[in-house]
Amino acid sequence: MNWKVACAAGDVAVDSMKRFDVDGVSLMIANVGDGFRAYPPVCPHMEEYLENSGICAGGVLTCDRHLWQWDMKTGEPQGPAEKPLLMYETKEEGGEVLVFIEQELEYEFDDDDD
Amino acid sequence: MKISIEKKDQHYSFEAQPGEKLLYAGLKAGFPLPYECATGTCGTCRARVKEGDIEEGWPEAPGKKGLKEDRREFLLCQAYVKEDSDFNNDTCLLGVPSAIKQFREDDLTPVHHQGEVRNWERLNAEVLQFDVVLDSAIQFHAGQFFVIQAPGIEGFRAYSMVNYEHETNTLTFVLKNKKNGAFSKWAFAQANEDGETKEVSLFGPLGRATFHPDEANNLFLVAGGSGIAGLMSILRHADVSGHFDNYSATLLFGVRTVDDVFYLAELNEMVGRYPNQITVHIVFSDHQSLAGHDLDLGRLNPGFGFVHEQALATIEPNLTDTMAYLAGPPPMIDALIRPLILEAKLPANKIRYDKFG
Ligand SMILES: Cc1cc2nc3c(=O)[nH]c(=O)nc-3n(C[C@H](O)[C@H](O)[C@H](O)COP(=O)(O)OP(=O)(O)OC[C@H]3O[C@@H](n4cnc5c(N)ncnc54)[C@H](O)[C@@H]3O)c2cc1C
Ligand code: FES
Ligand code: FES
Repeated sequence: MNWKVACAAGDVAVDSMKRFDVDGVSLMIANVGDGFRAYPPVCPHMEEYLENSGICAGGVLTCDRHLWQWDMKTGEPQGPAEKPLLMYETKEEGGEVLVFIEQELEYEFDDDDD
Repeated sequence: MKISIEKKDQHYSFEAQPGEKLLYAGLKAGFPLPYECATGTCGTCRARVKEGDIEEGWPEAPGKKGLKEDRREFLLCQAYVKEDSDFNNDTCLLGVPSAIKQFREDDLTPVHHQGEVRNWERLNAEVLQFDVVLDSAIQFHAGQFFVIQAPGIEGFRAYSMVNYEHETNTLTFVLKNKKNGAFSKWAFAQANEDGETKEVSLFGPLGRATFHPDEANNLFLVAGGSGIAGLMSILRHADVSGHFDNYSATLLFGVRTVDDVFYLAELNEMVGRYPNQITVHIVFSDHQSLAGHDLDLGRLNPGFGFVHEQALATIEPNLTDTMAYLAGPPPMIDALIRPLILEAKLPANKIRYDKFG
């Protein structure tokens, strides 16, 4: 099993996110109200750390560098954003947020090939 | 040399002349490649060599920070075709991480120009205004900029147009002296030699922090120092297009001291004609009041402290019919974006910015 404890459910307030290291894998845990989401720690655009550049408001994540935006629940891009957020599977158990990590998710430089 | 870019099912290819920046070659061919500063500082134009060889250009470009050498990443706005490449036969295949897509239907394709610099005017000790008369008439959107290369100086410099006309061969710029800056030094030396004209190379128009009357917005404008340049153009276009019959503008113009102000007469004149539509605040970061200073702001309001703080104190929350235009030093813009979204609840697609550096 690759389910790992990332944090306590109370660690991340609704409509916000925080960075955690889980077994050497860095990720952002977001509280989307009725659950949690886990994304890689960087912006899919230019790999800016979302810990610094991310703004959560009304279920929308905005990167303040070039204003790419995503739906925090689905990771789908909005407005000028061109790539979705990659997401790890998450679940809540006994007041803890668990993340399913098989391998570290990383954004490709260009989405077309290698 | 032929430059090719492959993206999913799309294929782009264009010619680049020896020495020509790849970004400019691609934009001029009508492909909206990703960029912001077009001059090596921001890193937005990063791309990757997949096959072939290019010259990377300016080794110390600040925008190169974070590029991955092992992925052969480089900046499109600095790289050019090697002088010794076999021009007719060599090709180069590039990867670009961002989409190649239009901004608006009326996007203008930038072109290389030659121009003659004229009419140097000193607006204060550190600020010059000048005109560049181009070899042909062009159109640009208010808020756009050109990159300019002066004789004998390596690389292009970005300057935003101050004027606005639907079509013109004269671009007016304002230049804030950058200490020890090569172009700044050249410009101040030129300004002191009265009457002489000088040839410069230009490429443009560039930039997406643009004003379009059809977008039907009130305007929230924040300038730090020379950031006022493009915002003047926006105010002028709004003025001549009758925008102020229906919409308002609030401008915050941040300067350090009373010695750093300029364009007060022009702003006063505009506010005089639209006293209920246009509000201007001149915000002094180094003064707590104007007492003891010999400065008459006329119809303009004084403000004190950081311009971004004053801007946030001024803006009303939950504006949906307002477009914010932010221009000036990157720290000012970075300090504004987050609270504009979180506190003023301005949608991100209603924020346009030009980071001057
Ligand atoms: C979009 C945008 C719009 C701007 N609009 C204005 C404006 O309206 N008014 C204003 O006063 N300022 C404006 N600026 C800032 C202005 O571009 C800089 O102040 C200007 O570049 C300073 O040039 P300098 O030669 O005096 O300084 P330097 O320090 O000599 O040069 C600075 C810049 O020149 C370029 N450069 C330097 N060396 C090289 C090299 N070897 N190869 C290639 N490139 C090189 C780089 O872009 C570098 O950032 C704008 C900047 C941007 C990004
Ligand atoms: S780095 Fe996040 S939007 Fe560009
Ligand atoms: S666009 Fe090339 S570094 Fe800014």
